[in-house]
Amino acid sequence: MTAYLQAIGIVSLIYALLALGLNLQFGLTRLVNFGVVAFFAIGAYTSALLALAGVPLLLSFAAATVLAGISALPLGLLSLRLREDYLAIVTLGFSEAVRITLQQEEWLTKGVQGLPGIPKVFASLGPAGSDTALFFILVAATALVAWGTLRLTRSPLGRLLRAIGDDEPALMALGKNPTKFKVQIFMVGAALSGLAGAFYAHFITFISPEQFLPLVTFYVWMGLIMGGSGSVRGALGGAVLLMIFLEGSRFIKDFIPGVSEVQMASVRLAVVGLALILVTMYRPNGLFGKTTT
Amino acid sequence: MIQFLNLLINGITEGLVVALPALAMTLVMGVNRFPNAATGDFMTTGAFMAVGAQLLGVQSLVLATFLAALITAMLSAASYELIFKKLARQPMIASLLAAIGLGFLLRSVISFFAGHDQRTFNVPLVRAWNFDGIRILPTDLAIAGAALGCLAVVFILLYRTSFGRQLRAVSDNPDLARASGIRARKLMIGLWLLVGVLSAIGGVLLGMKAVVMPELGWDHLIPAFAAMVLGGIGSPVGAVIGALLMSVAQELSVPLLGPSYKLVLSFGVLALVLMVRPAGLMGRVDLIR
Repeated sequence: MTAYLQAIGIVSLIYALLALGLNLQFGLTRLVNFGVVAFFAIGAYTSALLALAGVPLLLSFAAATVLAGISALPLGLLSLRLREDYLAIVTLGFSEAVRITLQQEEWLTKGVQGLPGIPKVFASLGPAGSDTALFFILVAATALVAWGTLRLTRSPLGRLLRAIGDDEPALMALGKNPTKFKVQIFMVGAALSGLAGAFYAHFITFISPEQFLPLVTFYVWMGLIMGGSGSVRGALGGAVLLMIFLEGSRFIKDFIPGVSEVQMASVRLAVVGLALILVTMYRPNGLFGKTTT
Repeated sequence: MIQFLNLLINGITEGLVVALPALAMTLVMGVNRFPNAATGDFMTTGAFMAVGAQLLGVQSLVLATFLAALITAMLSAASYELIFKKLARQPMIASLLAAIGLGFLLRSVISFFAGHDQRTFNVPLVRAWNFDGIRILPTDLAIAGAALGCLAVVFILLYRTSFGRQLRAVSDNPDLARASGIRARKLMIGLWLLVGVLSAIGGVLLGMKAVVMPELGWDHLIPAFAAMVLGGIGSPVGAVIGALLMSVAQELSVPLLGPSYKLVLSFGVLALVLMVRPAGLMGRVDLIR
């Protein structure tokens, strides 16, 4: 039971990291990233491949974070020239392009077969001990990111970022140049997704391209907008809501006779779809936010 | 050379088909000012409705497509009335997220009831005509003909009727159009009915070319969007040209990159166009920045 709760905790924290990354991009700066899963995948594959090649995990995690961040640079630069919805579709296209590349370049990624046997962190502690260690590292990492985001929100830079989201032309009229910060924030958010990917790969120990469908991106979006985008509390609360939904749907399946696992996947997709529609229509500030529309 | 011609023919056929959803997207983009990410899943809905109609005993594919287009059109108009109209005053991201959600919802209902099996339409199997190695499938010819006919009807609608003039007026300048007394409500319903019809027919034709499955439309969303951007947002002619160019480029890339990289190629074209010439071939830059 503890092992199960711990596993749920680990996955929740991984989603929390993703949500915090998206919160930096969308919640704070209004950069619409529909390619969260791309950076998640880049992080997961980078760290997994390096670790399988014998690189120490500390370095492979660092490489995953850095590479995911750098891979966001071209998109970030492109985003400066585009309206928000174009960035959305471009990032969505990017995530599909990444997934297809992972599927096709078998010499590197073993394609659809996936990468098995990814080493766990602190493997010398045994499987259970390793998960406990991973859990506490994740708690620390998430807390650090949450604290960092809070610091950032209250700093002059944070005010600048929020101003970018609110009224960019006015900001430029005041003589501030928001473009550099936009790109940087986009990269930092992507790097966080990459870090989350590394945690994911070394927890699950097996990754394959089909784990990185666009659906994952919209899980994070659903969590963030339900929790309330723009605040750390919203991102963390959203990750918890998301986990309750994902795990809950597994339990519910056992109580409804005649629904197969495949059909349950459809139901999950339906709930995500409905949630995206209803929350944007009736609760744009999140389930617990103000209902001003 | 012969392989090149075969790929070219295939690309043109596919381009004419992809032009239909690209046109639907560009119209919504011009008028409602958001990328309708549910377009792909409207296509899937249309294809599955037609498969369903055939299973229920409607033998003629033309009639089945007509029924599918009717149902998808009503679904599309209802989605405007119930969702997108209410989000019109919100930031664009609200409509976009709701469109993604609507797409998921449609796909989930389809895959829940129809499963993930690949389905095909009940069409007579015909051998390809062979002209010294240049292969032409009569089915492909029928697909291209149907798509062309459809495009012709839409362009007559857009450029020769009062409905089309009003639509283009709203797309060009919403305030001026309102001041001129154009009634938005009826126009919008008409637009979204048209979006449903175009998507459904596009879905059926794509399903005829390949197979029908729940990801059919979603997998064509990025190519259709790229085609729209390449042609220039808000330009109906541009959407058709963009779709043709894009699909031909995709087909011609197959010998070099393999069929799986088609979508990656369309993403590459999308990014490149946005970087170099965001207005596309014949679009307006104000809709992009």
